[in-house]
Amino acid sequence: MMTPSWILDILAAVMLLVAAISAGRLVAARPRAGSTGDADIDIAHLLMGIAMAGMLVASLITLPNGWWDAIFAVLTVWFGWRVYRESRGQGARVLADGHHMPHLVHSAAMLYMFVALNATAVGSGGGMSGMGGSSSATQTLRAPVVAFIFILWLAAYVVLDLDRLSGPGHGHGSYFVRPALVGATAGTGSVSLAASAVSAGTSAGVPAGQDQPADSSHPAGEGLPATGRRSASARALLLSPRAAAGCRIAMGVTMAFMLVIMI
Amino acid sequence: MSDIAVVGGQAARRDSASVATADSWRPPDTRRVLQLALAVIWLLDAVLQYQSFMFTKGFAQMLAGTASGNPRVIASPINWDANLVQHHAVLLNTVFATIQLLLALGIACRPTVRVALAASIGWALGVWWFGEGLGEVLNSAASPVNGAPGAVIIYALLAVLLWPSDRHAATAPFAAARAVGAPVARALWLVLWGSLAYFALMPGNRAPQALSSMIAGMASGEPGWLAALDNHAASLLAHQGLAASVVLAVALGLIAVGVYLPRSAARATLVLAIVLAAVIWIFGEAFGAILAGGATDPNSGLLLILLAVTYWPTRTAAAAAVAAERAGAEEATA
Repeated sequence: MMTPSWILDILAAVMLLVAAISAGRLVAARPRAGSTGDADIDIAHLLMGIAMAGMLVASLITLPNGWWDAIFAVLTVWFGWRVYRESRGQGARVLADGHHMPHLVHSAAMLYMFVALNATAVGSGGGMSGMGGSSSATQTLRAPVVAFIFILWLAAYVVLDLDRLSGPGHGHGSYFVRPALVGATAGTGSVSLAASAVSAGTSAGVPAGQDQPADSSHPAGEGLPATGRRSASARALLLSPRAAAGCRIAMGVTMAFMLVIMI
Repeated sequence: MSDIAVVGGQAARRDSASVATADSWRPPDTRRVLQLALAVIWLLDAVLQYQSFMFTKGFAQMLAGTASGNPRVIASPINWDANLVQHHAVLLNTVFATIQLLLALGIACRPTVRVALAASIGWALGVWWFGEGLGEVLNSAASPVNGAPGAVIIYALLAVLLWPSDRHAATAPFAAARAVGAPVARALWLVLWGSLAYFALMPGNRAPQALSSMIAGMASGEPGWLAALDNHAASLLAHQGLAASVVLAVALGLIAVGVYLPRSAARATLVLAIVLAAVIWIFGEAFGAILAGGATDPNSGLLLILLAVTYWPTRTAAAAAVAAERAGAEEATA
């Protein structure tokens, strides 16, 4: 008997939701003049969401495993470089407090899952998507101790994310900082939007996306038609640190679950 | 609103007054870090509980196995529970796993930490009885090397010691004493480690091949390197059961009284506790058999390490205040 398929279906649906939110964030925060944004993180979340949904439910496979190997290898190298850049300013603190460190761990864990599944299991099960099907009994990971380390690491980031989100002044510190503001000058529309996204939901007692201005020219959506206000609120909510952290928490739990189930 | 400017890859933050001071995010203190570590272990338990094996009748058989050797009054409810799980394996295991997931997330969330810790105590006590047969302490099979007195009871103990209350914070010499006070915390430590020393000397554990067989038995299904470690350790301990048990009991006894010793000696015994717990976790418990599949938790070694860290001596708040006052006086004099 395998893990009940409805559990895998639920997790796959959650991963597709994460992918959709990440796609929405990319659209809502599309780079404008002078703004680099957190596009790499949102792209990573989008790709991970799609890949994990395919691993959980066979009918959701989108790309061959080899392609995913390459994609997550590139993402791992990219976030490795970003962490290295961060560490020059923060030192070893970047391991616990770095903005890009969780994404490096997530990318590396995905790469590990795709690469480490042994050739027999991959051949017999139609790729890792067979996790929910009849082949899961034959699936075993190479170097399971690495999987165990990843599980602990992922769990630690889930817990840290929740602690920061629920603590006073959540959303602050380099951990949640959106480099959308990097190099930007205050006063432009795009900067105001990104800045409001950073602060959305960070002021005590203010629900994300409700009272935060989505545009400096329209504080709290004032002067905008009702649809415009709703749109501005939705964008602020989508770009809030809570949305990004929620995606990361969901992916961390799901990834840890998948690693355990593959051991 | 928070504006961030980054120059040359180095971030410089500029916070406005509206979000600064009291509302700014602060790094967690020692006790909060330990609570988060406990949450990580609960999360690990939750994902382990979602393993395929747990949805099979094998899980019910595992539960039923813990009834063996226990008094009737303890064994009967375990058998009833195992029977229930056998007939509703998918539903009940999903509930069990989800409860553990909620405990982990609840401890990690600051507003729900009290509720989650309280719930974790109740859950842990239930699992200790229905899932671990009271850690085999009543059937003479308990050994510190195989997880006695039951890993899950240490979760409950940690929840008590890490309770977010500061009734004794001013005089607490270590994080575990902040909620219950140093005398109670030390007594709990003495009882736990003292009982481990007692279990080490039980007849079943001091037999010539007892420890060796126990460790060798953990090699099955483990990765090659871990199985080799276990087999090597088992061969070293072959026919050395009595001597190994005595050495183990002495070390455990020393650790038990260590928290009553002066600070430097207490630290030394805590280091011994951490090292011994790590040795037990690796050789005796094979990381809770997680790498072999089918484990429900990381077993006691990891939790004993976490417990030892909660007793690590720190400067008390009172001492810190005195030091700060002295520094202030010196500054004024200068």
